[in-house]
Amino acid sequence: MKILLWVVLTPVVLLVLGAGVYFLKAIVEGAIEGWRSDPGAEEAAERVAALGLLPAERQHTELSAPQPRAMTVAVAAARAGDWAPAAALLDGTAAARDWERRTAYVEKLADVAAEDDAWLTAWEAARPDDPGAALLRARSSVFLAWKVRGAKRARYTTAEQFEGFHRTLARTRHEHARAAELAVPGDPSPYVGEIWTAIGLGAPHEEMHRIWNDITSRAPHHYEAHFSALQYWCGKWHGSEALARAFAVKAAAEAPPGALMTVFPLIAHFEHDESDSADVDRTPEMYAAVDAALADAAAADPDHPRLAEVRHLLAYYLYLQERWEPALEQFRLVDGYVDALPWRYRGDPAGEFCRMRDEAAVNAAGEVTP
Amino acid sequence: MGASVRALRALLLLAGFYLLGLAMLAVLAGVDWAAALWAPSSLAVKLYVVSALLAVPIVRGMFMLRTPKDDAAHGVLVTDAQEPRLWQEVRELAAQVGTRAPDEIRLTADMNASVSEEARFLGLLGGTRRLHLGLPLVSGLTEAQLRAVLAHEMGHYGNADTRLSAITVRGRVQVARTIAHFEERAGGKVAKERARQERKNEKKLAKGKKAKEVDTTGVGLTYRSMAKVYKAYGHFYLRATLAGSRRQELAADLAAARIAGRDATASALREIPALDSAHDFYMNAYATLGVGAGLLPPPGEVFGGIRHLLAARAGELAELRRELPTEPASPYDSHPPIAERVARLEALPDDGRASEPAGPALGLLADPGAALVAVEQASLTPEALRLRRVDWPELVHVSMTAHFAQEAEPLRRATAEVTDGDGSLDALLNALDLGVGWEIADRLPKSDQAGAAKGRAAREFARPVLRRGLSRMVAGELIDRGAARWELSWSESASLRMPPGHEDDLPAALDAAVADHPDTAPLRRLLATV
Repeated sequence: MKILLWVVLTPVVLLVLGAGVYFLKAIVEGAIEGWRSDPGAEEAAERVAALGLLPAERQHTELSAPQPRAMTVAVAAARAGDWAPAAALLDGTAAARDWERRTAYVEKLADVAAEDDAWLTAWEAARPDDPGAALLRARSSVFLAWKVRGAKRARYTTAEQFEGFHRTLARTRHEHARAAELAVPGDPSPYVGEIWTAIGLGAPHEEMHRIWNDITSRAPHHYEAHFSALQYWCGKWHGSEALARAFAVKAAAEAPPGALMTVFPLIAHFEHDESDSADVDRTPEMYAAVDAALADAAAADPDHPRLAEVRHLLAYYLYLQERWEPALEQFRLVDGYVDALPWRYRGDPAGEFCRMRDEAAVNAAGEVTP
Repeated sequence: MGASVRALRALLLLAGFYLLGLAMLAVLAGVDWAAALWAPSSLAVKLYVVSALLAVPIVRGMFMLRTPKDDAAHGVLVTDAQEPRLWQEVRELAAQVGTRAPDEIRLTADMNASVSEEARFLGLLGGTRRLHLGLPLVSGLTEAQLRAVLAHEMGHYGNADTRLSAITVRGRVQVARTIAHFEERAGGKVAKERARQERKNEKKLAKGKKAKEVDTTGVGLTYRSMAKVYKAYGHFYLRATLAGSRRQELAADLAAARIAGRDATASALREIPALDSAHDFYMNAYATLGVGAGLLPPPGEVFGGIRHLLAARAGELAELRRELPTEPASPYDSHPPIAERVARLEALPDDGRASEPAGPALGLLADPGAALVAVEQASLTPEALRLRRVDWPELVHVSMTAHFAQEAEPLRRATAEVTDGDGSLDALLNALDLGVGWEIADRLPKSDQAGAAKGRAAREFARPVLRRGLSRMVAGELIDRGAARWELSWSESASLRMPPGHEDDLPAALDAAVADHPDTAPLRRLLATV
């Protein structure tokens, strides 16, 4: 009888003892960890605060740079049903023939119209053949298609979502055509939106070449056009690493300084980089590419709507190349806004941005005071 | 290993199947006895209770080992006088195989033919031997192919040189049956529990309380675990006898090839999987199409209608015959994969019998039509027999019309709710014109993703649902006015025949009616011209 008792009790006692030892180990390890890393973190926090940099929770995750006031007003008015400020904003870009700013505004406003288009419908009714409204109609339908599809991988996307995606996107074809028909002569914007329909529907290379001719004949060094076309040529969409790199190198080589085209070799590299180590980012070619983009950013119009996006990527590669001082410089120039590559692709964009920024800050401090 | 040694092993294994229950009871009894001797009385009492609980399914399981008798004989019994040609053919085949001819021939509604024996004495002795012959299978085979199938089936009981191996076959059938029976019982328990919980939920809902999630995880547990024990033994049994059984199957194939000809046997094997999937498709898409609308095809056509399908879809069948299954049908299946069997047969030297005349196997029956009617009477449930019989074109038209009306029902109801009217097509078109189409669409059933979507995205999810419902209502309207009719086709899906031009214009008219700026004019124009 006693033996039976022991047979039952022994495993129970052993189990409890085992669990106890396991927890004790975890507690001790945790304490050691905290004790070790605390001073470093404190130092970094002090240094970052002294530089006037913001903590992760104060980083803006929906913008890559401060938004022009007129844009903020136009978005708020559109949400309230008033299309007039948005129309005035787009009319202004057409009058100034500022295509970079025009597509940048269209991108933001189309995002609003993809959620609710009552204001856009009112605009279309009031000004039936407005080129700006036609642009927004087409581009917002493209965003809408992606909303219907959802952001999950194909395996977790239902047949209903795919069907809606294709149906909505197919409809954008004639919306783009209408926008192109109504466009101000010389405006490449309708074709920039068309690239995203081509990406979503898997248009053949010939069609992409046709769109590309329509764009470059109007604006040879348009940033968003190049950014979108590069996506099309990436391996994950309808091209390959070789095609994407060739496209990016050609764009960079043909553009005058200040057009920011030198960022595309970096993006092509980034999109196809699957290695776990930073060695591939520290090749002589990558140093040269980063230097070229640095020079390009320095030569660019400080008001270029895409300059901040370039700086974000520069900060990332300068960090990977352990060039702490110039990396910190780029981080400081864009601090406060993190919706840009590479952070946009990460689960916690603000956290990732601040982690790398703080490391650059600490190491840069080490460099100046040897 | 000689035939007699193999048979002895099979006998021991089969006996083990019956001893399993006794052994488990003995173990429980032993534990109780040990507890009575050494454990304190409180612990012993608990052990008694637990072992009693465990013993119940074991004891019931042992009774379940007896073959359920009711499934042994079914179908329509035909005598020598009724079907002289069939009986003569079967007797000749049995003589050629070298076995006793069946005592009974029964015609069934299955896509299958089998020879079975009402085994006595734990399946060790043979009893009444029955040939079950499925008329759908007979409909799909030539005479020579049917002969090959029957020769194979009788070959299992035949092989005069290895008479004892019949024990293995009987044992295998017994094992598979018992396991199936156990699983059925466990499944039945779960179904019962589910029904009980659902009834309870209904009562709760009626009282305005929230229903609980139906949970049947714990139910049928004792049965499932018993089934597991027997299944494990069954696997062991089957593995131990598998090689031998597969050899026997191949030997039966060779016997069939010798009697019916190489090409007829190989082609019958190719035919069976093709017929099987054709039969499933036929039963779903044709024979039972009208059940929802209370209709069945004319007498003799419920199982016999497959002839029209086989004739009309020769191309698809040829495709199916080319792609043979390379996996066994189930782990309990003694047959090697069909692809392997066909390959072995086709590797045999040509016996020059390919040119033998190959009339349809149905010709063996005195009156195939009457036989099909008789099988229908015997195998349909009384409820099914009470359904109205209509000819095929009428069946397709009425059933598809009812099916479409049912699909349109949610939209009709949503329209009625929103417009506070009768939910007619006219009311829906007016509602679309007024811009309340999305409000109606919002009341239709939605997927999770559609339910989570807002604004324009919600509209994009609703658009195809609304369009589909609208197209069903338009079709119903056209049918009501006698302008459209469903047309039966044996080679493809049924199609709705409309007045000329309508078929081409309808899609665009439907698109316009559910567009962001709805325009019902094209649809109204179409409806006005009929």
